[in-house]
Amino acid sequence: MAAVLDRAVSGAAPRERRRRFAWAPALLVGAALAYLALFLFAPLAAVFYEALRKGWDVYAAAISESDAWAAVRLTLLAAGIAVPANLAFGIAAAWTIAKFDFRGKSLLVTLIDLPFSVSPVVSGLIYVLVFGLQGWLGPWLSEHDAKVIFAVPGIVLATIFVTFPFVARELIPLMQAQGRDEEEAAVLLGANAWQLLWRVTLPNVKWGLIYGVILCTARAMGEFGAVSVVSGHIRGMTNTLPLHIEILYNEYQFTAAFACASLLAILALVTLALKTWVEWRQAKETP
Amino acid sequence: MSIRIENVSKKFGVFEALHDVSLDIAPGELVALLGPSGSGKTTLLRVIAGLEIPDAGRVHVQGEDTTERNARDRGVGFVFQHYALFRHMTIFENVAFGLRVRPRAVRPSKEAIREKVMSLLKLVQLDWLADRYPHQLSGGQRQRIALARALAIEPKVLLLDEPFGALDAKVRRELRRWLRRLHDEIHLTSVFVTHDQEEALEVADRVVIVNRGRIEQVGTPGDVYDHPATPFVYQFLGNVNLFEGRVNRGIADVSGRRLAAPEYDGVVDARATAYVRPHDVDIVQESASAVAATVDHAVALGSVVRLELSRKDTGDVVEVELPRDRYEGMNISEGKVVYLAPRRARFFINETPTKTASA
Repeated sequence: MAAVLDRAVSGAAPRERRRRFAWAPALLVGAALAYLALFLFAPLAAVFYEALRKGWDVYAAAISESDAWAAVRLTLLAAGIAVPANLAFGIAAAWTIAKFDFRGKSLLVTLIDLPFSVSPVVSGLIYVLVFGLQGWLGPWLSEHDAKVIFAVPGIVLATIFVTFPFVARELIPLMQAQGRDEEEAAVLLGANAWQLLWRVTLPNVKWGLIYGVILCTARAMGEFGAVSVVSGHIRGMTNTLPLHIEILYNEYQFTAAFACASLLAILALVTLALKTWVEWRQAKETP
Repeated sequence: MSIRIENVSKKFGVFEALHDVSLDIAPGELVALLGPSGSGKTTLLRVIAGLEIPDAGRVHVQGEDTTERNARDRGVGFVFQHYALFRHMTIFENVAFGLRVRPRAVRPSKEAIREKVMSLLKLVQLDWLADRYPHQLSGGQRQRIALARALAIEPKVLLLDEPFGALDAKVRRELRRWLRRLHDEIHLTSVFVTHDQEEALEVADRVVIVNRGRIEQVGTPGDVYDHPATPFVYQFLGNVNLFEGRVNRGIADVSGRRLAAPEYDGVVDARATAYVRPHDVDIVQESASAVAATVDHAVALGSVVRLELSRKDTGDVVEVELPRDRYEGMNISEGKVVYLAPRRARFFINETPTKTASA
């Protein structure tokens, strides 16, 4: 990083000025690195250190335990439903907002941002109020023997709610910047709506779309607050990975807690690597 | 194929983009829609294409009412000001697009598509760019590719929205001559939108002058330039000077000088504004029936000299063009007072002249 900065400075300024101001960038970079080390790298290292402190066998046992596996499966299931759902919703919403003018457009944009501004716990409570036993639809649901709260459907719904801005938010500015010309051209050349979407609209926003999906997936797997409210914490049944970690921690099973946490940390690192790769590809392809 | 536009109106909110516009375009014609920005010319083009639905009125292409028809079924070729090439496709794929999206039953074979695309790329003289991407091309090249892409679907009519607007002056001149030649080759009914009068007059068979959602005049380039129908057209096409005067029984009086105004034979003593082209203003020796003015600038441009003067009485700026030899014989210099006399003028009665700088 320092090398890049050095090159930038020497390219822009004469030698004399560079020497005089060299301490300023060094100080800023140093401060930023120290901050990152303290608040990001250290905790990350601590997770892996704690997870592996009692040896590899304990670590392996902790993450292959049946409740842990159930939590992993449930997390993947929730993300596996929430991400495609929000992908479809995000594309539809972004297309509508970017390419058409209609009444209530700004209201729709605000609604899409709602999950960002509402506390996840409140999001969870909303579902309890609607679907819970004392909620609006609770009696009707229990009559029909359907369970949403304290069950898998509730967890999926809460995950969808919390993660739905990601894809749409990524696509809206991109589609707005690209305008309607290419789509109008495609229509005049005889493309139908389906061909328009697959051959013109989506290829143009490909990297933004992938980026949005990556962020959405990461958030779906890591979500705690909203899921915690609707889950009921039934071991091996309604515990997602973050909830499972909390239970283990509260039961003083620190090594197991950190072992499971390391899974989430690895997931975060993979997401980060993918995100960087997408950004790099995008920069390479954009003229 | 002919195009007929009947009483088309279109509003965007409270803004009236088109007001009861009717226009007939003959098969094989190249027509320019000329007007200032916001005049409604692009809206009219988009109505023909089906990209805008008119609030009232009908559009017929080749005698068929296409007003309700979806844009994708109209078979119009459309060229956008900013090219609108598909950025993630090669030039070849861009041109092939219109053929590839056809329903399987009417889609040409792979070889037929390849042949067609290459022949179109040859037509626009860019077949060597087939494997490039749009961002690797210059503006002029992109616009020619956009044209090839529009022609690939063998359109009934070709519509061009400010096709040269985003190009620099030299490329623009080259490309518009090239478009004219191309049109003479393929004889496709074409309509193009422009705000550049020179472009419209040079390229088009007929010019349609649009202002504030209405058609001001339709005619050949010579027609509209020499016989403007309205004060707007006079000001919009070429430079013009305005002189206040009166008209009485076919004779006009401008600053004491009498000129013929035969179109106002029946008019008795009315206020009128004389529209005078710079080359129709004479510089005369001092006389009662002339306007005194100070010479501000004199610029020699080839065989003519363009003078900018300000009137002594009103301070208005007057432009005069003189043949060079005449100018040299006159011993005029900047700051000197001379006398102006319109030689020929077109009069418009009771119009309050808009004092805009003539375009």
